[in-house]
Amino acid sequence: MEYIRLQEKLPPKEYRSDIEPTWCPGCGDFGVVTALTKAFSEEKLDPTAITMTSGIGCSSRLPLWMNAFGVHTAHGRALPAAVGIRLAKPETPTIVTAGDGDIFSIGMEHFPHTARKNFDITLVVMDNRMYALTKNQTSPTSRHGYKGSLNPYGNIEDPFNVIKFAIASGATFVAQSYSGNPKHLAETIQAAVEHKGFAFVNVLSPCPTFNKIDTFKYYKGRLIDINKELGHDPSDMKAALELASHVLDADNPELEDAEPFKGKRPIGIFYKVEKETFEERVAKLKEKFAPPSGEPDWDEILAKYRP
Amino acid sequence: MAFDLTVKYAGEGGEGVISAGDFTMRAASNLGYEVVTFKSFPAEIKGGYALSQVRMSDEKILSQGDGFDILVAFNGEAYEVNKPLLGKGKVLIWDGPEGGDFEPDLEELEKMGVFVYAVPMSKLAKEEVGAYITKNVIAMASVFELFGFPMEVLKQEIVKKFSKKGEDVVNLNFKAIEVAQNYIKEHIKKIDPYRVPGPLPKKDVIILEGNEAIALGAAVAGVKVFAAYPITPATTVGNYLSPIILKTGGFVYQSEDEISSMAVVIGASFAGAKAMTATSGPGISLMQELIGLASMTELPAVIVDVQRAGPSTGMPTKHEQADLFAAALGGHGDDQRVVIAPKNVEENFYLTIEAFNLAEKYQLPVIMLTDGSLSLRAEAIPTPDIKKIKENLIERPVIRKGEVKPEEIENLFRYAVTETGISPVFVPGESPKPYTATGLEHAENSRPRTTPDERVKMMNKRFKKIANIEEENPHLVEWDLGDLQEGDKADIAVVSWGLSASITQEAVKRLREKGYKIAALYPKLLYPVPKNALEKLSSMADKILVPEASYLGHFARFIKMFTNIPQEKIVQFNIYRGEPFIPKEIEEKILELLGEKVSA
Repeated sequence: MEYIRLQEKLPPKEYRSDIEPTWCPGCGDFGVVTALTKAFSEEKLDPTAITMTSGIGCSSRLPLWMNAFGVHTAHGRALPAAVGIRLAKPETPTIVTAGDGDIFSIGMEHFPHTARKNFDITLVVMDNRMYALTKNQTSPTSRHGYKGSLNPYGNIEDPFNVIKFAIASGATFVAQSYSGNPKHLAETIQAAVEHKGFAFVNVLSPCPTFNKIDTFKYYKGRLIDINKELGHDPSDMKAALELASHVLDADNPELEDAEPFKGKRPIGIFYKVEKETFEERVAKLKEKFAPPSGEPDWDEILAKYRP
Repeated sequence: MAFDLTVKYAGEGGEGVISAGDFTMRAASNLGYEVVTFKSFPAEIKGGYALSQVRMSDEKILSQGDGFDILVAFNGEAYEVNKPLLGKGKVLIWDGPEGGDFEPDLEELEKMGVFVYAVPMSKLAKEEVGAYITKNVIAMASVFELFGFPMEVLKQEIVKKFSKKGEDVVNLNFKAIEVAQNYIKEHIKKIDPYRVPGPLPKKDVIILEGNEAIALGAAVAGVKVFAAYPITPATTVGNYLSPIILKTGGFVYQSEDEISSMAVVIGASFAGAKAMTATSGPGISLMQELIGLASMTELPAVIVDVQRAGPSTGMPTKHEQADLFAAALGGHGDDQRVVIAPKNVEENFYLTIEAFNLAEKYQLPVIMLTDGSLSLRAEAIPTPDIKKIKENLIERPVIRKGEVKPEEIENLFRYAVTETGISPVFVPGESPKPYTATGLEHAENSRPRTTPDERVKMMNKRFKKIANIEEENPHLVEWDLGDLQEGDKADIAVVSWGLSASITQEAVKRLREKGYKIAALYPKLLYPVPKNALEKLSSMADKILVPEASYLGHFARFIKMFTNIPQEKIVQFNIYRGEPFIPKEIEEKILELLGEKVSA
């Protein structure tokens, strides 16, 4: 179903609410807000029709800073809440904003199912590789050795390759971007919003307060654009999976010079495919079974129960 | 004297015991009789003891009854389980004299005054029909032949059920009927007094199973999104709703777990749709956090909890009424929710609609508690007047674009404090002003706020919504005073809810026929506790009996907790064996409390 859109573009600032973010100065997530407002503006979305959902955590406060409809749900439950909106009102574009802990730990069960069903949802994950709001614990994407408040001796786990997982789950748009590159981020988010189907954008988004490893300084000069620099074609799933397998190479000093990323972090669109959305399939079913008059024929429905 | 007959089929799960009951129920209803069924089976797909009981009468039936008049025992286990219930004047039909797996003690049964018929169901099915699978049809047809149900009705039902499977299947079943009829005619001499009197004038009724009534009620109420995760005994609500909801513009969504079901309901409700989920005990436990979110964000949501025996996995197919604490209080913080409970299939239908009305009106989650036995109970109910129901549906007060002047929009708040505590609703795509619904405490304009003043203001607003819910919905408390007037003195008062209320109703009716003065209250509104009605009832008697199918007796404890009724007046009567009460035990309990001797 077509989104409700405006006739004229609204300036990006019109998509901000007058609530000031509670984020720390220098938080990477500010870049995501800016990129979202740009994308909404470019797509001519109507603020009174946009729906956003989020879970719990620093990043999940984001819908509150926006001039759009939002549900700030319980921890991990942003995706199924978005599914509810999709089922009820597919004409309202739905954006989910979440953190890596929220979506890949407590809310993990929902990710692969929402992805494989190909709901027309844009999921923007602000990945700072740790939990910030609860003051520094490791998340599923934290580096091996990362020192959190619950493991001061360092993380004994390996991080989760979320890009590979998203492709394997059946997401029809999988990308990674970086909040320190506003242009790439805005373009990627816009492409995700434009994509009909489940679009996942993992945003490398540094936490300046707690995470002293994955910082803006660290990312500087350590990014590689897979589409522009490596010529990756997002329609090639095999190539996408192969590339995705190396996403975390840069964590490993032994792979400093290894192909394809040479110790850098990849950004860009890994995978993109057109596929019928869940909402389209529901619409087809509804059309098939809908009564010709539009009004249900209650006499016919009741007849089934007569003795 | 009213005609009142109960036929019970008992045997092994998977042998067609349940469908034998269903066919018999449909035949009786076809003849114009009132019907109520009672079914029970194990949690496994095949095997284990299963029963299906059909009570029929020419008068309104209040409960499943005390037991059976006619028992059809498919196997030895079924005979052993029911042997203690056989007595003078009852009928036993058993799988014999050869071919079955057991032999009843015929001499003893004769001494007891039981009428016994041997019908070799297994043998006839195998040897005469050539298909063991028709054993239950032989059993049914024998019952029809022996007790005067018109065989035509059974044949019609068989055509209805099996014509899709092809003519061969229909003919096989017809052959089984013929074999049974011939056997009865040739070998059985009728010695019992039971006989169906003949068809009654046709009534305008529909037959619904408990969960089917919930599904139909939801469709009539206008549910647009139904999200659920399979769980016994709630799964069939979705099964029954699926084919109807597409015709009414909605969708049944199977989600990955119960948490997600509840989140889907919240999302759909936020987007303006009437949304619902159905689950059972373990599912309601998982949903608690999000039920709190629906409460905090003031989003209407209907949650049906088809209770089963717990805790933990408990007895998934068995009856219990022990989720009331969880339904009413099972969340963190002080939240606002409403809990209601229907007592029979008809109320399953109407109360589901009421659940939506309450949710929309008060903008909060409404939990409807039914149970495993009620989910399977079939009743013939008067055909509902859908048009009239539709006219009385409550819709939420959505502010739509163009309905308010632009200068007014600025001061229009989603969580505005109003006289009633009920605020205007904004819906994406429809309303002129967006907002973010948040589980954080918030101000009237939905911004997060934690100042003491704002907190107190919003808590008061949300609790104000339901402060007068009992007065505003008097129909949610059913009085049953018989000849008594309000304020008269009764011998005893009874309070009962859910399926137990329908059974209590029958016990009370019998006692009144014996001359006892009973004041009874059947609340459908359980939480907030209908304090005024309960206190009024309390003024009518020295003792209040509260029969509940749970160990703790949740509602009895709520009465002690939320009313000014002296604790010592409340007499709890609790069973927790996985089965519903029978009217007789409530009748006897009341007599015992009145100091009367209970006749054997």
